[in-house]
Formats: sequence, C-alpha cells, structure tokens
Amino acid sequence: MQMDDVKIRNIGISAHIDSGKTTLTERILFYTKRIHAIHDVKGKDGVGATMDSMELEKERGITIASAATYCEWNGYEINIIDTPGHVDFTIEVERSLRVLDGAILVLCAVGGVQSQSITVDLQMKRYKVPSIAFINKCDRSGANPFRVIDQLRAKLGHNALAMQIPIGLETDLEGVVDLISMKALYFDGDNGEVIRMEDIPEKLLAEAKSRREELIDAASMFSDELTEAILEGDEITPDMIYAAVRKGTLKREITPVYMGSAYKNKAVQPLLDGVNHLLPCPSEVENVALDMEKNEEPVVLENDPDKPIVALAFKLEDGKYGQLTYIRVYQGTVSKGSTIVNVRSGKKVKVGRVVRMHADQMEEVEELKSGYIGALFGIECSSGDTFVSSGINLTMTSMYVPKPVISLAISPKDNKSQMAMSKALNRFSKEDPTFKTFVDQETNETIIEGMGELHLDIYVERMRREYGADVETGNPRVAYRETITQRADFNYTHKKQTGGAGQFGRIAGYIEPITDAEFIFDNQIFGGSIPTQYIPACEKGFKQSMEKGPKLEFPITGVKVVINDGAFHAVDSSDMAFQAAARGAFREAYSRAKPVVHEPIMKVVVETPPEFQGAVMGLLNQRRGMIVGSQDEGTMCVVESQVPLSEMFGFSTVLRSSTQGKAQFTMEFAQYRLVPQSIAEKIALEVAQNKKTAA
Amino acid sequence: MLKKEIIYRNPLVKLGYEQEDILLNGGLGAVMAHAGVGKTALLVQVALNMMIREESVLHVSLQDAVSNVDLWYREMFHNIAGSFTEPEIQEYWDKIQPYRFIMTFRVESFSVPTLEERLTDLLQQNIFKPHTVIIDGLRFDQAGREQLLLLKELAKKYAMRIWFTVHAHRHEPPADNGLPVSFLHVADLFDVIVQLEAKGDEVYIKALKGQSADAKQHSLLLDPATMLIKEGK
Repeated sequence: MQMDDVKIRNIGISAHIDSGKTTLTERILFYTKRIHAIHDVKGKDGVGATMDSMELEKERGITIASAATYCEWNGYEINIIDTPGHVDFTIEVERSLRVLDGAILVLCAVGGVQSQSITVDLQMKRYKVPSIAFINKCDRSGANPFRVIDQLRAKLGHNALAMQIPIGLETDLEGVVDLISMKALYFDGDNGEVIRMEDIPEKLLAEAKSRREELIDAASMFSDELTEAILEGDEITPDMIYAAVRKGTLKREITPVYMGSAYKNKAVQPLLDGVNHLLPCPSEVENVALDMEKNEEPVVLENDPDKPIVALAFKLEDGKYGQLTYIRVYQGTVSKGSTIVNVRSGKKVKVGRVVRMHADQMEEVEELKSGYIGALFGIECSSGDTFVSSGINLTMTSMYVPKPVISLAISPKDNKSQMAMSKALNRFSKEDPTFKTFVDQETNETIIEGMGELHLDIYVERMRREYGADVETGNPRVAYRETITQRADFNYTHKKQTGGAGQFGRIAGYIEPITDAEFIFDNQIFGGSIPTQYIPACEKGFKQSMEKGPKLEFPITGVKVVINDGAFHAVDSSDMAFQAAARGAFREAYSRAKPVVHEPIMKVVVETPPEFQGAVMGLLNQRRGMIVGSQDEGTMCVVESQVPLSEMFGFSTVLRSSTQGKAQFTMEFAQYRLVPQSIAEKIALEVAQNKKTAA
Repeated sequence: MLKKEIIYRNPLVKLGYEQEDILLNGGLGAVMAHAGVGKTALLVQVALNMMIREESVLHVSLQDAVSNVDLWYREMFHNIAGSFTEPEIQEYWDKIQPYRFIMTFRVESFSVPTLEERLTDLLQQNIFKPHTVIIDGLRFDQAGREQLLLLKELAKKYAMRIWFTVHAHRHEPPADNGLPVSFLHVADLFDVIVQLEAKGDEVYIKALKGQSADAKQHSLLLDPATMLIKEGK
C-alpha cells in the first residue's frame, strides 16, 4: 500500500428520496471548506444546493445526475459521488456504486428504512460496497434513531451498531454522545462549525455506558487484541475499537451507525471522522478487470500508480467546454499529455486537460493516480468504456443494464429543434445506457425508451432546457412482448418465377417455446437437403421474423427454431430465397403455436400514513394490481403490489390527490407476465387502430 | 399435476383430519411447538393447499416483514414442486398468488379492531375476501381470553376460519393434557390443535384435538431439510 493511498476515500451517499442526502453533502462541503455558504435544496435564496448542479434538479428538489466532487477532512482526501434517489435513475446509482470503495447510507430518523433504502442496499450488496449509516433528520417530530437501527437489523439484515447516542431528540436535539471517546459533542457557531466537547450529561450516562458495551462486544468479534483487553480488564483505547469496527465494516459484517441532523448542522463532522476511520482506502478493495485476450479471464488489478493504466469512464456530462468524462483510475496514472486506449473502440486518445470536479466547478490537476476519481476533457467515449495503456487489453466488468420497459414517440416542432433534438438524443444515449433511441421505420417517428415515466419526462425536459429543442411527445407506450405457448411444425416452400432469375427454397421443421433464452436456432439437417451455405440465411430470416409479431407487431421472444428438412434448386436458390422461405415458414407456424402477449409488471411499493391504506389499496386494485401485502410500520404503512406498467401512467398525481400528498411510491420492473384475454383484445384493437391512423 | 402433488402432501389430511377444510366457518385452529421447529412452515403448507383450491388466505404476521413471509411461500412452493420445471412452477405460482394476501403488524400495534378495520378495507372495495386467516406470532401468554373471543367472533362474522401458531416455551413444563400452561386459558376455544415436537434430528407431528374419531393416527414426520411432511416409519 502506498502511503498517500491510505488517506483516500471514494465514497457515495445513497438513500431514499427526501432523506436529505443532498443537504448532507452540502454540509460536508461546507465543513471541509469547499464551499463558503450553505444553500438549501429548495432554498429561498434561489441558489439551490451545490451538488444539484442541473437546473432541473434545483427546480424539482431532487438529484438526477450524480455529480462528483472531492474534499479534504483531517488530512484525508474524500471523493464524493452524490447519487440520485429516485428508482427511475437506478442505473446512475449502480454506476456510482461500481466506482466507489465505500458508502454512507442516509436514513431518515422518522421514515426509517424505506423501500428504496432496500433497493439501494441490494445494489451495495451486489457490488460489495462497505457502508456506514447516517440517521438524519433527528430534529424532526417522531424521530427515533434506535427504531431505525432495529429496522436496519430486521429489514436489511445489517449488524447495525450505534456509534453515538443523541442528546435530546426532535426540537430538543442538542448534539450527540460519542460512544468511543465517551464525550458529549455539541455544535456551536452559526452553522454548527464549532465543536464543543463536554462530559456526558448525567441522565445519559447509563445509556451511553450500556450502548458502548454493546458496541465493544460486537466489535470484539473482529479483534483478538480487543477481546484480550476486555478479558484482562485492560484499558480499551479508541484506536482498538476503531480498528475492530473497521475490520467488521470492510467485511460488511458491521454497519456503524452515526446520527444527527444535517439541516440543523448537528453531528456531520463526526460522520466525516467515521468515513476516515472506518471506510476502506482504494488498496483495500479488490477490483477485477477482464482480460479480453484470454477469453475474458478475470484479472485482479493492483492499486499501483506505476503499473499500466486501467480506468473506467463512469459518467459523461456536456459542459461549457465540450464533453466531460468522469473516470475512476483503478491502476496506473492518467496524466496530462499521456496516451490511453479506449478498449471498446480500440482508438488511441491523447489526454488533454485533467480536472477534479467540485459539482459544476473544476480544478485543473496534472495527473490522476490509481484510486482517484476525476474528469477528462475532450475525450470521445461512451459511459462504461474502459481506458488502458497501449499494449494491454483489459476491460472493467460490464455493468448490469436493465432493458427499457417504456417508450415514447417524440417529434421536433421545427427545423432548429430537429438539430438540437438529435444532438441531445445522441448525448443522452451515450450518458445513460438505460436510455435508448431509434427511428421507427414504418411510422418514421423517433422513439425514446427508458425505465419509467419520470425517467423519460426528465430527458424530454432536459432536451427543452439544455438544448433548446422544442419537442412534442406522444402517449407513452408499454414494451409488450409476444411469445408462443406450444410447438408447431412448418414446411414452407418459397417459389417465385416471374421473369428474370427465379427464387426457390423449402424449409421444414418446427418452432417451440423456451424460457431461458430469447432465440435459439438449431440446424438438424443432415444429407444436404439445404446446402450449408444457405443455413445462415435461414437463421437470418427467422431472426428477422422475431423482430415483429405478424399480428400485433410486438417483438417475439422465447422461441426455439429447429430445421430438419428442406429443398433447394441448383439455379434458383439463393440467400434471399431462403431468407424469404424462413420468414414464410415462421409466419405459417407462428399462428398455430398459440401466440400470447406478455406485459411488463412493476413492483410498486407505496408508503402511506395508515389512514390512507384503504384508499391506496383501492387505487392499486383498480389498476389491475395484485397486492402482495401490507406492512404496518407504526407511523407509516407500506403496501407492496405488482401492477402492470400500462396501468401506472399518471399514478403519482392520483396518489397525491387521494392521500393529501402524504404517500409516496417507488416502482421498478419485476417481470413479464401473460396479458389477460380481455386486455389482449383491447391491445389488438389499439394496434389495429394505430395501423389505420398510420396508413 | 402440481395441484395433485400439493394435495397429496397436505399434512393435515394425512394426520387424520379427513375433511378438506378441517376447520369450519368461525373455527379456530392452533399449531404449537417450540421456537424453530416449523410452525410457520406447516401453516404455509396448509395455506398453499387452500390457494390451489382457489380459496383465499390472509396471512397475518406479527413477526416478519411482507417480503420474508412471501419468501416462506415461495420456498415451500418450490420445495413441494421440486420435480417440475422452473417455468411450470412460475406459471402455477402466478396463478395461485392472487389467492394470498399478507398483512404484517408490529406485535404492540396488533389488535382485533385494527385487523377488522383493515379487513373491511379489503372487503368493501372487493379487493380480497379471505376464506382462511393465518395469524403467526401472537403471544398467547400475553393475549387474553378476551382477544381470542373477539377473533372467534370475527371469524364467524366474516365466515372465515383462523389458524394460529402457538409458541411453547422450552422452560415451561406442559400441563397434563400436553398443552403449554400459558395456552390453557384459551384452549377450549380451539377446534383443532396440532403439535410439532422435535426429537433428535426429527420433527414429529401429533393431532391433539379435533381429528375424526375413527381416523387412524399416523406417525408423521417433518423433513427438517425441506420442512415438508414425510411418511413416518
């Protein structure tokens, strides 16, 4: 481990929407002297929080794109990625977690572990990111940090350990008792920047002692030295406790819990101490790349600045001076003027300006060593690309990218907007792998696809604001799919002789349903009834047929095609003839294979005060939702359900009006499921109608 | 096929309760055992059996989150349907899942009026009408006879039957009739009582009350690996 590496922390701040993570980040930047004034998320001063740099984010009070920034605390360099809280932007959260070494899980002292905290926690588990928790909003009425700790244990299975206890709660919140130093900490000054350390108030002493005991007990599982000190009755030093808790944290077997109120400037600084003491430095995290030359064999990277470069571009942004590419360097040193290779395209790129970002302000640096996060200017690449030194061919593990479930037709209002729109679409699809765009060849419409209504809304809005593209949008369309439910044989001859060269090809075989793949082509022809050179044409013909079902025109999935016989003509057979024969054969068999339509089903979790539970369940039920269950959480209750995406349009408005705006919901893709017959008929009618209109 | 498999595995019919429903409208049933022996597993099997007969089950848990209860059902269903393919299991699961509704309460906030309020929410909007209710985690040493009487009334009023898990404490010696002392004050309200007992590596199931008189008492075992019923020796 290099000396300076020990004092680097690459962390993320992940949480449920509205649990106050942007405010927390703002305070962190203030205490680390990166900013000199505090602005609230939805502030009256009209400035907005520093991390919410996109205009739209400031307006809606939510964080969309993760801005990266760095700061220093007690000699440690901390790179922070602020991550979006809404589930529609989960890809951003996942991308951030990929490049982080540790995270702060922010929880609301009133709301506790909410549905999205569970999603975010699952993502952290997937990328094995060690975390510490911060229970925020302890100044709010109904705050109960120890209930949240219980929820961390029960709902997320964390071995959550309080590192502090609060001094007062709700409006009486004064500070915290640090269970390691056994001192009471108060936060004075206009913005809580002056820390006053005093003896623990008498009334809290007993609780502090028992909580400290709990903490030491749990930590001793990870340190022989600490266990020995307990058994021998020796003095237990703060270093001993930190070392043991740190070990547990890095293994993800302990989640240390800090608490306070970012908004009221209470106890943010001790959380930063916790980041320094307990989260890993880059060398302590194993990062694996795939060797493209050895059949994607995993290679463990060394966090050594002198080794060849391996860096990942995890975020792109359009800045004033061109494309800004956020990178995390895993190995080697990326310096100004050096040459790096984009593994995906094979292109060599010369590194121009290297900067470190502080939301939308930047600081120019000479180099980024392994373990660091920074940004490059003027590099043409896509998000998720790996950059390496010439001569090596490693790629960082590809990130899990979910398929889009919703689409929308957009059209520019005028010529100027046309140019701006295509520029914006190009940028967005590079920035966000879950955002896709294409032109429908039949209707000639530009279609955008994404992970939810809000996801697409935000991009349309960004198109207008950032690119000046005035666009009209059509109704959102759900990504239905077709599949077959039984085996059907085919024996199709394509024959055409209308002057000129004829066309001839016969294909026989069967199609059958499969569940573990989208399409399988199995050639079982022996004896050359179809010559080998035409087999790829047959496959291509079948694949083309899968793109659109013959009746409803949705993509077809889950089909295995087996061909076992056929015929050809020495003169008239060609690739084209066999492609056409395959398409004909598929059409012939498809209608007999009992095709059905599947629709995306979303997991919808609504959190509501108990008095609206009945109304919420009614709303979900009206939307063909299946309610899995309802969970009583004291002040709130959670209704879990599965609802077809097609029924979820406009749900947020209805939910707001039915619950006086007190309920909120998250939605994520769960599975594809068979559409009921009555709905399938409705869809068929709609498709026919659309076809008519298009014609 | 899968339907047959689940009916074949129905633990209670095998135990000598011949009627398909076992409990009648307004009836109360109890599965008692020490912690960790398999009370929930047994009742989830009873529930699955109802669900495949297209009878709705309301599962009320006072100890687990919705996702955990759901996991119990999925695991048990997979265990029972082990010999079928994944798509078959999924297809059948999608078919029967709407017959189940999970409701969880914290022990301290659970009360019969609250349960009735939630139940009316479901009934009035025609969202769910339970045929059977399972209440998992009610503390019988704390729940007074009054609460049980209210529940029995509720069962009658809505034409339901209610199954309970009863936690027998290890430190508590059983009464003469084999029932835990903390349960005696309400035992007469129950129509069916089944006991699970761990002996070494095996779990035995015994009918203590309510099986048909001429039914042959089988010796039934719960396989600790799958928590499913297996025939005794």
